[in-house]
Amino acid sequence: MRNADTGGGDRPSAVPAPVPTLDAADSGGYERLRRLLIGKELDALDALDARVDTLGRSQSELPARLPDAILRAQEGAGSERITAALARPVAGALGTAVRENRQVIVDVLFPVIGPAIRKAIAEALRALVADLNRALESSFTPRGIRWRIEAWRSGVPYAEIVLKHTLRYGIDHVFLIERDSGLVLDRESAPHLPVLDADAIAGMLTAIGEFVRDSVGQDESGTLDAARVGEHLLWVVQGPRANLACFIHGVPPARLHALLEQRLEAIHAEYDEISYADEGVGEWRHLLQPDALMRDARAGDEAAAPAASRWPIVLLALAALALIAWAIVRERREASALAELRAELSSRPGFVLTGIDARRDGWIVHGLADPDAEPIAPLLSRAPHRATLDASGYLSTDDAIIARRARRLLDAPSTVTTSVRDGILALGGHASREWIAAARERAAWVPGVRSADFAVAAERDRAASEALSAIARAMPERVVTFARDTEPAPESAAVVDAIVADARRAEALGKTAGVGIAWIASGTNDDPGSEAVNAHLRTERAQWLVDALRARGVANVAVASDDPSLAEAHRRGAFIRLAVPPR
Amino acid sequence: MSAVARKVCMIGDFGVGKTSLVARFVHSTFSDKYLTTIGVKVDSKEVALPGRAPCKLVLWDIAGRSHLDALNMTYLRGAAALLLVADGTRERSLNATLDLLMQARTLLPDAVAVLAVNKLDLVEQWEVAPSALAELRRTLPVHETSARSGEGVEAAFSDIAARLAA
Repeated sequence: MRNADTGGGDRPSAVPAPVPTLDAADSGGYERLRRLLIGKELDALDALDARVDTLGRSQSELPARLPDAILRAQEGAGSERITAALARPVAGALGTAVRENRQVIVDVLFPVIGPAIRKAIAEALRALVADLNRALESSFTPRGIRWRIEAWRSGVPYAEIVLKHTLRYGIDHVFLIERDSGLVLDRESAPHLPVLDADAIAGMLTAIGEFVRDSVGQDESGTLDAARVGEHLLWVVQGPRANLACFIHGVPPARLHALLEQRLEAIHAEYDEISYADEGVGEWRHLLQPDALMRDARAGDEAAAPAASRWPIVLLALAALALIAWAIVRERREASALAELRAELSSRPGFVLTGIDARRDGWIVHGLADPDAEPIAPLLSRAPHRATLDASGYLSTDDAIIARRARRLLDAPSTVTTSVRDGILALGGHASREWIAAARERAAWVPGVRSADFAVAAERDRAASEALSAIARAMPERVVTFARDTEPAPESAAVVDAIVADARRAEALGKTAGVGIAWIASGTNDDPGSEAVNAHLRTERAQWLVDALRARGVANVAVASDDPSLAEAHRRGAFIRLAVPPR
Repeated sequence: MSAVARKVCMIGDFGVGKTSLVARFVHSTFSDKYLTTIGVKVDSKEVALPGRAPCKLVLWDIAGRSHLDALNMTYLRGAAALLLVADGTRERSLNATLDLLMQARTLLPDAVAVLAVNKLDLVEQWEVAPSALAELRRTLPVHETSARSGEGVEAAFSDIAARLAA
């Protein structure tokens, strides 16, 4: 239609004139004609063009509009539809992603899986710690002590004993299943558990066992013996004609498995041919009861414990005997030591024993003690136990203590001896005059002394005595010389004066030393003359000196008896010396 | 009166409706996924019998296939009855089911066998001719069932229970 255009100016001029038709200038008329002929088709064509444009634009805008569209679809009732619609492609996409981009998936899931694993481990550890805490808390309880004794006797570590007793478990179901058919021959379940389709479960269990044996087992011996899901455990004990399936939660002891085997063996032994048609179905219920199984397993554990060696008991008995013997010996020794101490304390002067408390932590000695008695502490220190003294003071009337007391109170010097007999104080030895005088006054006041017998010699003054001795030694050296007969030499006056001075000093010293002073005068002679004449001269000269000294106030001078040895002096003289020389 | 349990194995070609029949008959304890994993799913249903102790059918729904392998044969062990299932709209499934019966007879020569021709709701599309069914009825108890509508299902299982209790 469109190539019927007649208005083109570039048409070649050689083209023959067109077939007569509508007026070429009347284009509006042509358009009207065309509209009349194909107007509907043109409208449809325009509509299709517009729709193609719209679809093209929608296709290009789809990625941008899809998120908003999904969000809107999740609102209201459309959410379930969009979820259902996306479930399969999303699952498929996820599966493809896992296969092709595993690392990306792992990286994405790691923050989720990590905490989940940690949480699971933490829960398990918390349960274990709780069990151990219970065990530790019971360490010092009778049960804990019993476990320790069990560990000691069996040689098993205490921790294992604790775990054995604290890891709890329970039996949920026990099925006796015919091996071929998978039918339940008998069953027992723990109380309070929901009802279950035992036949279906036993059948599935048998089927799974067959499947596992067919898939994994290389021979007939390959069987499904155990399966664990979480804290639930399934044990299958295989028998020639029947199997025993035990559904357990927790951690059972190994003894339980052995017990199940024994029960299954007993069932097989009791019935030659087990089948569901037997009238004996139900007869084994008592062998399958969960409580009885757990009780028997526990009893079996205790019975299976290794027989305790008698040696520990023998050693324990010997130790006990040794302990008893030691206690007896110790008791006797203590009694002996106590009696010995009691005897010593009873006989000790100045101490009155009123009692001894023999306690476990030591002895306490009660009594009365005189301050002047011998100390008790050295005696107590020899006791086998720690001994302490609980004493009150008192005054003893024992003679020995009175003597000690008198010595202490009188402050007796070591040169004085003291003794008491029947309250009479006897003092001996020697002491100064001052002490003797004071002691005489104080002796009567000493407690326990009825009277005093003084036999103490007075001592001289040592310094005075020594000075007196020096004068006594020097005095004979002072010799008055005579010119002839009894005529003194000119220098004799000075000698007499010196003698007088020494005599007076000696007098004073004698008083101090408590010594009486008495002088004796002797004369000497020269060689000539007879012995008789010389003896007379010696006496005369001695008398002269006596007179001279008396004239000067020294009266305690006497003429000594004649001494012939003085003839040996070989000079005419006279001198004095002490009548009694000082000690 | 306590029920006596009996093992019943359901065999038949793939897609004949065994699982649907069981689903119509019992409330399943286990998921159908076991059929695709270990090849069997077990359910049970107690069937009341007039004047007798009820019979508990333990139904082993064995995954459909045209022949029984070693594993399937172990599943058959101890079965008291076989429920053969065929698809009435597929004559080949009937032949396959009869082949399975022949295989099962080597292990279970005395087991009760009942045939259920399923999909009665599509009877207009059945390829199995009535004459063939009449011929089969001379050797096997045959029930026409519909897992979709439930028609004939109870009757088929009750027939098995009755035959087992007999």
